[in-house]
Formats: sequence, C-alpha cells, structure tokens
Amino acid sequence: MTPSTGSGVAPAADAAPGAAAPAVIEATALTKVYPGGVTALGGLTVTFAPGVTGLIGANGAGKSTLIKILLGLVEPSSGTASVLGHDSVTGGEQIRQVVGYMPEHDCLPPDVSATEFVTHMGRMSGLPATAARERAAEALRHVGLHEERYRQIGTYSTGMKQRVKLAQALAGDPRLLLLDEPTNGLDPAGRNAMLELIERIGVEFGISIVVASHLLGEIERICDHLVAIEGGRLLRADTIDSFTRASQTLLIEVEEGLAALHEELIRRGLRPTAYQRSLLVPIGGDATYDTVRDTVADLGLPLSRMEQRRHQVEELFRDPGDPGPDVARLSAPGAAASTEAADVR
Amino acid sequence: MSADTSATSTGGASVIHDLGYRRYDGPRLGRVQIIRALAWHSFRAAFGLGRGAKAKVVPLVALVALCLPAVVNAFAMSKGNPRVVDYDTYTPALRDLVMTVFVAVQAPELVSRDLRSRVLPLYFARPIKTIDYPLAKYLAFSGACLVMMEVPLLLLYAGSIANVHGGSAVWGQTRALIPGLLVGLMWAVVLAAISLFLASTTGRRAFATGAVAIALLLTFTLAEILLQVEGPQNQGPQAVAVKGSGPGAPTYVHPVLYVPSLAEKVSGLFSPFTLFDGVRMWLGGTDPADGVPNPGGFGAVYALVLVVITALCLYGLAARYRKARLS
Repeated sequence: MTPSTGSGVAPAADAAPGAAAPAVIEATALTKVYPGGVTALGGLTVTFAPGVTGLIGANGAGKSTLIKILLGLVEPSSGTASVLGHDSVTGGEQIRQVVGYMPEHDCLPPDVSATEFVTHMGRMSGLPATAARERAAEALRHVGLHEERYRQIGTYSTGMKQRVKLAQALAGDPRLLLLDEPTNGLDPAGRNAMLELIERIGVEFGISIVVASHLLGEIERICDHLVAIEGGRLLRADTIDSFTRASQTLLIEVEEGLAALHEELIRRGLRPTAYQRSLLVPIGGDATYDTVRDTVADLGLPLSRMEQRRHQVEELFRDPGDPGPDVARLSAPGAAASTEAADVR
Repeated sequence: MSADTSATSTGGASVIHDLGYRRYDGPRLGRVQIIRALAWHSFRAAFGLGRGAKAKVVPLVALVALCLPAVVNAFAMSKGNPRVVDYDTYTPALRDLVMTVFVAVQAPELVSRDLRSRVLPLYFARPIKTIDYPLAKYLAFSGACLVMMEVPLLLLYAGSIANVHGGSAVWGQTRALIPGLLVGLMWAVVLAAISLFLASTTGRRAFATGAVAIALLLTFTLAEILLQVEGPQNQGPQAVAVKGSGPGAPTYVHPVLYVPSLAEKVSGLFSPFTLFDGVRMWLGGTDPADGVPNPGGFGAVYALVLVVITALCLYGLAARYRKARLS
C-alpha cells in the first residue's frame, strides 16, 4: 500500500492521476431551493476528479442535498450535474447502476445476517443471484467482516455496521462511491480503521470515492482532492497538495515577549498571525527560518517551540479576522492537531 | 471489529486479507428484472421464508386454518355426502377472520420493516425508479394473498373431483371453481392494496398491524351493525335458489325475487368484506343470506367503491414513497 497522501512533498506525482483523466462529477450552477424557501445549494459549480475527494462542509452546508442530486433522487431547481457522463435528471438509473452509496444514518435491518443483506442489496444493484452471493461474500471480506458475516446485523458493533454499509455499496462493483459521513459514531480506533479501508478502496481497488464529512482534519489525510462547500456554495476545490502548499506555516512559541516578537517579525517583512499563545508565520522559503531564528535571538526571547506545520488546511477556510461559527465547525482542531503532531515529530 | 489502535496510514491495512479486488464483468439485470427480484424476495418474506422460524408461524397457521374446510369437505364427500363447501363463498366467517389476521401481520413485514430500519435510501440508490419499490411490494403481497385465497380452493377442488365420478361431474366442479378463483383474485388485489397502504404509514410494526386489523374489523363490524338495524324486516330470504344441472353444480339465486332494503344495500358499502360479497352476488354468486348485505341494484356501486378504494390506497402507497425518497 502506498502512503499516497502521507508526505505531500511530491505534488507532481500525486496530482498526476487527477490531472488528465475526465471528471467524475461535474456540477454547473447547481441550485436547490426546497419548498418553503430553504436554499440547500446556491449556484454550486465544481468538478470532482478521479481519486478520493473529500467533500467538506458543516452540517447543513448542502452535502447531503448534493449527494441526492448526484444520485438522481432530487431534481435541482436549476443548473445541471453529471456523474460519470450521465446527466443527473435524465440518467438517474444509469448513474445508480455505477455508483455505490453509503448513507449517513443507520440503514440496516437488525434481524438478517450481513451476508443475506448484502446479497439482497447486490441483487437490487442488478446482479444475478449467484453473482450477488459471490460479490457479497467478497465485499464483506474486503471490509473485514468475513468471519462474522453469518451473524445477525443486530448483534454487530457500530464499527461493524458501518462496514456492512460500506460493503453493500461495494457489492454492485461501482465506479464511484458516495460515502456520507462514513466515520459517524465511531471511536478513534474505529475511525482510523474505516479511513484506512476507504483509502485502500480508493488506491488499490481503483474506485473513485467522494467522502462527505464535516471533520476536515480527519479525512484530509486520505484525500487526493478537497471540495469545501459552505451554505450551498463552493468555498474552494483543489488538490490536497495545493491546499497543503498554500498552508505551509511555521509555528513559533515563546515563553514571553510574544507581542514584541510579533511586531519585530512584521518589521522584518513577515506576516505573522497570533494563534492561541503562539505565532504562525507563512513560510516563504528557507530565509523565513533564518529571519525567525535571528529575530528571536536578537530580542533575546526564550524560544520554547518552533515547528513546521505540515497542513492546517482548515485555516484556509477561516478568515483570521472573523472566524464565523459555521466555518469554525468545519475544522476538527483535536483530530487535526494530533495527526499533525505525530507527523511532524 | 479489528481496529488496530497503533495503525497509521501505512500500517494495519496491509495486514487485512489481500486477495485483491475483482471487477464484475458479468451481465447486469435491467429494471424489470430487479423489480421481479424484489417482488420475489418480498413474496417469500410474506410467508416468513428466508426469515427465522418465528416469522413463519402466523402465515403457516393461517394457511392451514383456511385449508381445513377443504380437508373436511373431502372427508365428508368420501363418505358419500355432496360437496358441503361452496367455491365462491368458501367459509365466509373463517376467511374474513383469517385473511384479516394474515394481512394485518404480514403487510407490516413487507413495508414497515424497511421503514423502521431506514433501509429505503439504499433501495432508492439502486438502478430502479422510486415507484418500483411499492410496485414490487404490491405485486408480492397480492401474490401472497392470492396464494392464501386460492390454495384452499384448489384443495377443495382436488378433494371434490376425487370423490365424483364421470366427466360431466368433474366439469361441473371445474365450472364452479372458476368463479371462486376470480373471487379470490378480487380479495387478493384489494386486501393487499389496503393493508400495504395502511402499513406503510408507520415503521412501528405493532402500530401497523393494529391499523390494518382495526380498519378491517371496525368497518366490518360497522357494516354488520347497520345490517342488523334493518335486519328483521328481511328475515328469511325470499330468493329462489336454482340448482344448476348436474350433481355438485353451483347454486344460483334469482336476485329479482329478493329486494333488499336501502339500508341493507348501503350497509354493505362500509367494509371490504361485505363489498367482496356484494360484488360476488352482483356477478351471480350464491347468497348466503345470513349476515351478509345483499347489494340488490347497488351491485355496480359496490364494484365501483371497491375499485375506488383500491385505487386510492395504491395512490397513497406510491405517494408515500415519493415523499420518503426526498427525506
């Protein structure tokens, strides 16, 4: 298994799969206004490249509505969307033939075994009976439920249920998976296992994946691309590398004299921003490190920490002056910080 | 689950079973075949097949109960008696009760279960149309009700022809059987529509069962009470029963000679079961006379009401899933 999103220092190699291939999903001026006047999507124009794409947005940002439109289950008020070349309004059945969908909420009957359930859902995807049985067994094996597959789903843990949900989406051999909050309700270990599984499906199985989540810090490590939406509008769409590159920052922590350091750094031409009890300085090149080192030394401040923050993608969505409540919820400071600390040290 | 707590993005995953992913290149079924697969799956579920032993109890007991009269008849005929059970009415009280229980318990099994477990979005994400789900369920449950109605009749027929002699006698039995089968079809398509619609309004199976049972029993009781109100005047039918030619041939009633009161005619409009009987009599079936409203000149109205009820229930069922798709 290749740690494709691990380093982030080889943008050319990482960006290559998505650059030339045709788009998996294309939305143009996609708008959905529900009866009653609630605008779920307001003119969303975005393209999803092959690979694993994170669809990031706070609850209510329009992720689920977008997924329903892409599946052809909800008609947009205006604008168009196409999935793997099929129009979402006229080609809903063709789309659903090649797309696997894992909903956010519980969707499993408790009183059947995983094998029976996934087999049945495989049949509903259009597989003949024998093929459905074979592929159900295989899908359950891929998600790591081979041993327990004859047990009733009601006896499963939350993590196992999430895997069954993933398996039923996988059973019909989709070209694209739409996963809505796949780590919902899982403990940290379960989250890691689920994310690894998704990454593996994307990298090894060659299936394009859209992972909708409100936890950016969590899914950024398995994504090739990120699409961020807020209030039904596109915030930003790009490869994870350009997100990362743009967000290369240096974190400086001093035990005292933070304000003085702040002023001095500005005077020396850097653009520091206060972040908790430390300063963040965008890295312009090797010179940045020297400038910071010299400044701290010249001021005689006790430097306690200076580290390069590999990605802090959520900061891209946060206007330093005005961290709105919605945007703040986008990020998962805890998860992001721990990932990053492990990476850096 | 096998969560590896120490896993980083490069660990763990390579440990899990690595037999690789295989694409599926085989044939894909079309929409019609998927509907058929879902209908077959649901049809089996209506009898508890593919489910645990507990799920089989009610359908099995119901089917056995409905078959008993046919067995008794076969026994009676083997002792030299004429056929004691009619094909078109079968055993009315038993059939009303057992079919009420069957649809009240099994219709929720088909629809409420999926609502409860919120599995519907998975169906709607499949290459079918939203309408196909209720369509498949309706086909399946109509079929299941049809089995409940027709299997006892076929058993009755088998028991009867085994005990009559001569081609004309067999032909007579066959001619009597056919209207019975058609009556069974009418029951099946109407009861399936009503019970599925009522059951689809709630994901709580107990509520769904209650709703179906109460709707069917309450309306039947209402019809019976209304019949009693006007009953005494019509005590003792003046109808003349006309025996068909040949032994065991059906008995026909000349409706002209018996003119039911307006109240009696109206009372029958309130319950599916009395509507079934009314339409059956209107089309020339036997009049059991006791406890069943005779439609008289209202026959066509009875048929119309049945059609309207069925259509409304099917429309409601379809609308219910159109709404579910968006939630």
